[in-house]
Amino acid sequence: MTEEQRLLADMADNLFGSLGPDACLERDWQAMEDVALPGLLLAEDLGGSGGSWEDALVAFRLAGYHALALPLPEAVIAAGLAGRGRARGTIASGVQGTIRDGTFSGTISGICFGLGADFVVAPCPEGGSMVIEATDLSMVSHRNLAGESRETATAQEARIERLRPDVFALGAFARVAQIAGALDSALARSVTYANERQQFGRALARFQAVQQNLAIFACEAAAANCAAMGAAQALARGAACFEIAAAKLRANRAVGIGAALAHQVHGAIGFTMEYPLHRLTRRLWTWRSEFGNDSRWAGALGAGIVARGADAFWPDLTALTD
Amino acid sequence: MQTFATERLEWPATARDLRRRVRELVAAHGVHDPVARANCWARPDPEFSRKLAAEGFIGMIWPKEYGGHERTALERYVVLEELLAMGAPVGAHWIADRQTGSLLLRYGSEEAKRRWVPGMARGEVFACIGLSEPNAGSDLASVKTSARRDGSDWIVTGQKVWTTNAHLAHVMIALVRTESGSERNQGLSQFIIPMDTPGVTVRPIIDLTGGHDFNEVFLEEVRLPASALVGKQGNGWQQVTAELSLERSGPERYLSSMALLVELIRYAETARSPALNELVGRLAAETWTLRLMSASLACKIARGEDPALEATMVKDLGNSFEQAIPELVQAAVDVDSCGPEDLGLVLCYLLQVSPSFSLRGGTREILRGIIARGLGLR
Repeated sequence: MTEEQRLLADMADNLFGSLGPDACLERDWQAMEDVALPGLLLAEDLGGSGGSWEDALVAFRLAGYHALALPLPEAVIAAGLAGRGRARGTIASGVQGTIRDGTFSGTISGICFGLGADFVVAPCPEGGSMVIEATDLSMVSHRNLAGESRETATAQEARIERLRPDVFALGAFARVAQIAGALDSALARSVTYANERQQFGRALARFQAVQQNLAIFACEAAAANCAAMGAAQALARGAACFEIAAAKLRANRAVGIGAALAHQVHGAIGFTMEYPLHRLTRRLWTWRSEFGNDSRWAGALGAGIVARGADAFWPDLTALTD
Repeated sequence: MQTFATERLEWPATARDLRRRVRELVAAHGVHDPVARANCWARPDPEFSRKLAAEGFIGMIWPKEYGGHERTALERYVVLEELLAMGAPVGAHWIADRQTGSLLLRYGSEEAKRRWVPGMARGEVFACIGLSEPNAGSDLASVKTSARRDGSDWIVTGQKVWTTNAHLAHVMIALVRTESGSERNQGLSQFIIPMDTPGVTVRPIIDLTGGHDFNEVFLEEVRLPASALVGKQGNGWQQVTAELSLERSGPERYLSSMALLVELIRYAETARSPALNELVGRLAAETWTLRLMSASLACKIARGEDPALEATMVKDLGNSFEQAIPELVQAAVDVDSCGPEDLGLVLCYLLQVSPSFSLRGGTREILRGIIARGLGLR
């Protein structure tokens, strides 16, 4: 980490830690604005911090670690893509409709905390992304698996601004980073619990079955974190299509193993509403399919590799980093 | 809690050129049997080892004074991963290059260094590791092979087992109990034993694939000079533990089944199957992640760190991945393990050899115990 990233990490750790899963958008969004976090990726000459994707990784990962109930990663991506720092933007994962004369008609789905947002950056049916004003959308609100607000909206000839970057892929990157953080947090909780909880006259941590499971969990959390870092580094070099697909797939796999083991170690108490484990695991489960489940990313990644042919696989892989 | 310090990787500017040279060398040598490309670091080919050495690709990070090339750890890593991805037969010199040469350079007597390291760098001297014994597998601290002083010489008696390549090696690094009556990991030392020393007998152990990697090595009153002691008397356990990080941290720990993944992709090219494409995608994602994790170990080692915990994690993840590939391929593709398709032949071999992946170089359960300790659980 650079010194600046360390400062960012310390600040975000404290702030997100104090807000966590009980954060309330209406009451607490100002705290994000106060430290200029939404402008993390926004160019400096547009009023932002001009940060890198590796900086974003630091912040997104901590948002996941603390199960922050605010759409900060989404706002950061939206601001950076649309070049807008004034009011809160957000991103969406789904679209169905048509483009005509610079307008969009159709449905946008999976809008993250859409209510109260100023603008939405959604995937564009003709490729890339599109910015659309919230005032041109009639939104219906839902709660996802983790109890977070997700909206579906219809638009009729809504004016759009088209962008080249792929917001769906960038949303996937955000989820990879958040998954990495949340897994680390769930692991830490599980280790603490195993060291404290006593049964049969000793701590759970003394049982080999528990030790082996937590070792597996730790390896998965490590893999998710490395995947997130690899994707962030790749985004600094370009569109990172391969890397984001690979990272999301790896993070998704880690969710399955990690969330299950966290619940196993915690026993029944971890299954209650009162105990905070579910704040992490329900987010992990929803993030596993948001902005692309396994089938979506594996199909895209695999088709690309197969089309290039077997003998190109390894040279292509190494060429990504050379 | 973050158990694996992630870092940004900077690949050497020489990487592209190194890869090209390795690919040309392997292509010229020719590895025409696709089965031979699988688990290739278990396949010895002394002729290839010499060719590789002539290109400066063995002993890359060793001092030039001892025949090395003083390249960086990441440059060496690039060469290793290319060799493995191409299925090159690197088995003969692998152990010497990976750990024995470095061990001698760090701990060996000047005489031992001069006698053995240049030959290793030339791809002419091969090494094996004398650790396990019939009653000391995962529990290495219970080794019984012992050495007693006789004047300035040592006399070694005992038996080693699962000694990979003992039948080809010129030297063995043996962990031996030098303090009579000492218990567990106390009182152990390392010796370098030339395999042609009187009293050394090697007997092959054939594995279930019909392959010959393993051996029993009998040491009957083997007389060694004082210069055969590696490092400090009684310091054997610490030295072996440091060697383990080197042994566990290389790209071979996740690339053993790479040849099968390549054949799967080849098969998928004409199969036009979304399901197969998805399998390829999932396996590619794991390969990409493991490569990053493995490379970051090389970075840490290059900085002089000893990433023992991280190396253990990467080995465990890597081994599980290597073992998963044959099963997943068999489940997804209706291919005959008798051939003639390459996919079936490679699958046939890897299915059988795959149990060894989570046994060699550190059994899975032991590795997970080490990780658990690293988490603060014991």
